[in-house]
Amino acid sequence: MAATDGAVSSCYQCGVCTATCPWGLLQEEPLNVRSLMRRAQLGIHQDGEMWWCTTCRACEEQCPRGVPIADVMLALRRLAWQDRSVPEGVSPVMWALHWDGNPWRRPPSQRAVWARGVNINRFQRSDEILFYVGCTASYDNRSQRVARALAGIFGTVGVSFGTLGDEEPCCGDAAYALGQHDYMKQIVKRNAERFAEEGVQRVVTVSPHCQDMFLNQYPPIEGFQPLHYTQYLAQLIQEGRLGFEAEFKVKATFHDPCYLGRRNGIYDPPRDVLAAIPGLELVEMPQSRADALCCGGGGGRMWIETKVGERFSDLRVREALDTRAEVLVTACPHCIACLEDSLKQTDSPMRVMDVAEVVVGALSAGRHA
Amino acid sequence: MREPHSIVCLKVVPKSEEVTINPDTRTLDRSKARSEINSPDMNALEVALSLKQRHGGRISLLSMGPPLFEQYLRLGLAMGADAAYLMSDRVFGGADTLATSYALAEGIKAIGEFSIIFCGDESSDGATGQVPPGIAEWLDVPQVTYASRVQMVNDGHVLRARREMGSGFETVEAPLPCVVSVKQGINEPRFLDFQRYDWAMSDAAITIWTAPALHLDESRLGLAGSPTIVAGADIARSFERRREFLEGSAKEKVDKLLEKIRPWLRAG
Amino acid sequence: MVESLYPAGDARGIWVYLEHTDGRFEGVSLELLGRGRSLADVTGERLTALLLSGDGSALAEQALGYGADRVLFARHPALSVYTTLPSARVVADLVTQRRPSILLLGATVNGRDLAGRLAVRLRTGLTADCTDLLIDKESGILSGEVTGFGQGILATIQCPDTRPQMATVRPGVFARPVFDPTRSGPIEGIAVEIPEDDLRVRVIRRSPRRGADITQAERLVIGGRGIQGDFALLRRLARALKADIGATRVAVCQGWIGHDYMVGQTGSVTRPKLALVCGASGAMQFTVGIQESETVVAINSDPEAAIFEVADYCIADDVFQVLPQLIEALDQKAGRKG
Repeated sequence: MAATDGAVSSCYQCGVCTATCPWGLLQEEPLNVRSLMRRAQLGIHQDGEMWWCTTCRACEEQCPRGVPIADVMLALRRLAWQDRSVPEGVSPVMWALHWDGNPWRRPPSQRAVWARGVNINRFQRSDEILFYVGCTASYDNRSQRVARALAGIFGTVGVSFGTLGDEEPCCGDAAYALGQHDYMKQIVKRNAERFAEEGVQRVVTVSPHCQDMFLNQYPPIEGFQPLHYTQYLAQLIQEGRLGFEAEFKVKATFHDPCYLGRRNGIYDPPRDVLAAIPGLELVEMPQSRADALCCGGGGGRMWIETKVGERFSDLRVREALDTRAEVLVTACPHCIACLEDSLKQTDSPMRVMDVAEVVVGALSAGRHA
Repeated sequence: MREPHSIVCLKVVPKSEEVTINPDTRTLDRSKARSEINSPDMNALEVALSLKQRHGGRISLLSMGPPLFEQYLRLGLAMGADAAYLMSDRVFGGADTLATSYALAEGIKAIGEFSIIFCGDESSDGATGQVPPGIAEWLDVPQVTYASRVQMVNDGHVLRARREMGSGFETVEAPLPCVVSVKQGINEPRFLDFQRYDWAMSDAAITIWTAPALHLDESRLGLAGSPTIVAGADIARSFERRREFLEGSAKEKVDKLLEKIRPWLRAG
Repeated sequence: MVESLYPAGDARGIWVYLEHTDGRFEGVSLELLGRGRSLADVTGERLTALLLSGDGSALAEQALGYGADRVLFARHPALSVYTTLPSARVVADLVTQRRPSILLLGATVNGRDLAGRLAVRLRTGLTADCTDLLIDKESGILSGEVTGFGQGILATIQCPDTRPQMATVRPGVFARPVFDPTRSGPIEGIAVEIPEDDLRVRVIRRSPRRGADITQAERLVIGGRGIQGDFALLRRLARALKADIGATRVAVCQGWIGHDYMVGQTGSVTRPKLALVCGASGAMQFTVGIQESETVVAINSDPEAAIFEVADYCIADDVFQVLPQLIEALDQKAGRKG
């Protein structure tokens, strides 16, 4: 109870959480969230079930008592660290953050390699935005394309921006998601001091997870305004700085990343961006916005093995295919990875694209016209 | 069972991909490289920590290097070790494995009685794997190299270990005290224990020894004590991939590939 | 300055320590006899093979056929299964008495175990894992070429003053010599006494590897979605390359191969010398599992596949065209050597 700051006390065991949890769609036995909450209330030992949670917060959306279930899960993980009983694969992620500054064990000296051949400047306080790339977009060659797409868009629009190059620190999300909150606090404190020193005000992130960390886990910094890039692009469109001339004919559906939508209520900005593209037809999946099905990558699950046939993204991809869309659009590096992975199992020609990549496509359609 | 005292030797190494060769002097330039604790040494420390968890006892850390190694020893304390010793003296510099193993063995003697000395199987810089057997020889104790699993049996007097042989493994038993070198990657080193963190980072006293403090024979240390010399050095490979596309028909590509990977094809 | 147990001026001869199991030489021991022979021919010295064994062995004769001029053959029950101390004692005593200039050992697990101990006992220099050995005809100084810093740096190491100049060499670096049954030479039996104290370490059990542990693989052939389940083809390639098999998550998901073989973030992180990735697109969750390979070869029909960004040698072609040709070429190579 103390670990959750009493958060779990208001649970009255109705079980809606268990019914809502996407694990129930994939397994015979759903994840018994209700029982987890009960054991937390009573201070009874958990069996490691809290590691299954992707912190998608679908349950919180439905919980009649407003129990912050995801926070309870993370608090239970924090206790597990104290007991030294964390799953395989998790400790190495923390050491990777420590030695390499990213959870992927990639060399820190190669963090800015994605920017080779693209004109990216070092951030200065006079810049309009700090472009915060994040670990996944820096190192994952699939997500690097999103980073380059965004850099290209900023360049086209004439936004003055810079990155922190290979000195960009990890936002700390992996430590947060995997329950290592003591370490997360160190990371957050150090980064906040740096941002303050460098005069960072508006930050635009590639990943909703990084934005979430800056918004909700970082101490207040004067003038600090973390935005997800879809919010920023939507602003640029509204300001008339970003526009589309030619038609970009494509039928698309949008997958709301949990950490963009349910977590921080950012549902409209990505849709506003897509709506601004002439010729783009947006079809919504039945489960969208607050009802969106999680891709399965959150809550540190990118670093924990998920067995065959038990991936949320398999279901999500099927939903997307049902819309007959040509493109499944999303706005999160973890979502891209999970959705593409699941899409690979099918023979469908449907592609997964990030909003930024769609925008670049739409802009170049104009040029070829 | 008597409670074991393990001594774990830690080396702080530069990140390999950040080490360069000075083009004028043809010598190693580590000045801009970030450092880390040698990865197999972390595996070795984890083995010691698991034994401590099971049998109690204590763990001392030993390292040899400049003062900046201290912060790394403190990380080891935060993981669960009890004491740390740093041998730091200019005269240790430039040592090859003979001089290094001699110095470390003397450091171990100064720490006192031990049950097991743990080392990583090799370090990422020199990668010789020679220091652990060297230490065992200087101390005149048995050695078990390339160990992947370690247990204490016979009421704490005997060490039973699995040695990874490549094509399989063997199980050996060695009396204590002995030296064990731990194979890279055989466990997941536990992360920092934040309940120990503040103590480890500030309050814990690290013992720092210079060569005179240990009454060492300086002719056996550093460059003077090293029979091997580096006659030349060069960059071997870039840590970035070549990304070389092989062209031609499938057969031509195959032939070109075989040429390229010849060094990795076992003879015969 | 370090002084070894005997001066360089007194040192003569090139010695090779032979490793053997169940009546057969370790490949590297033969490779060292081959290279030792060439070095000995440069300086005009004698090549001596050191054979330690539990009992009588035909290996002594074979050593002559592979290039040794003579064999020093030490027999003792304690030498029937390798443990450090008995072998160290026998070799150190022989070296101290006979004063060779050079002592070579294979950089196998036990070779390195022994060499490291011996170098200290003999107060001499040891160059580990040489990728080449050269000798200066005039001075008799051995140069060992080694890599360090994750194979990033190439260095030449010498041991100018102490003797023996010791070096270990990895299997597969040098070619295996052709056996010449007409070669002959003296086989000298060495009387051996091993004190109780040296027998303190015992090997209780030796076991072959059961199940897959690809984290130790030196060579890996990995199959992804593009091989469409044809792991039989991949196994043939693996056999031809003397490699282990691995798989991407997609391949495991499809049920083509067991989870033990999965390479990647949530599977096994491997560090082979050679990784051949067939039909995998190269998602980061997979590539983190091979990023420490010395060399990566990728074969994928899509020239834009992400895997090519993390590969050294790239073949943008159909795996089903390339692999059979590769297997055939490798088999031919092996056949020619046979």
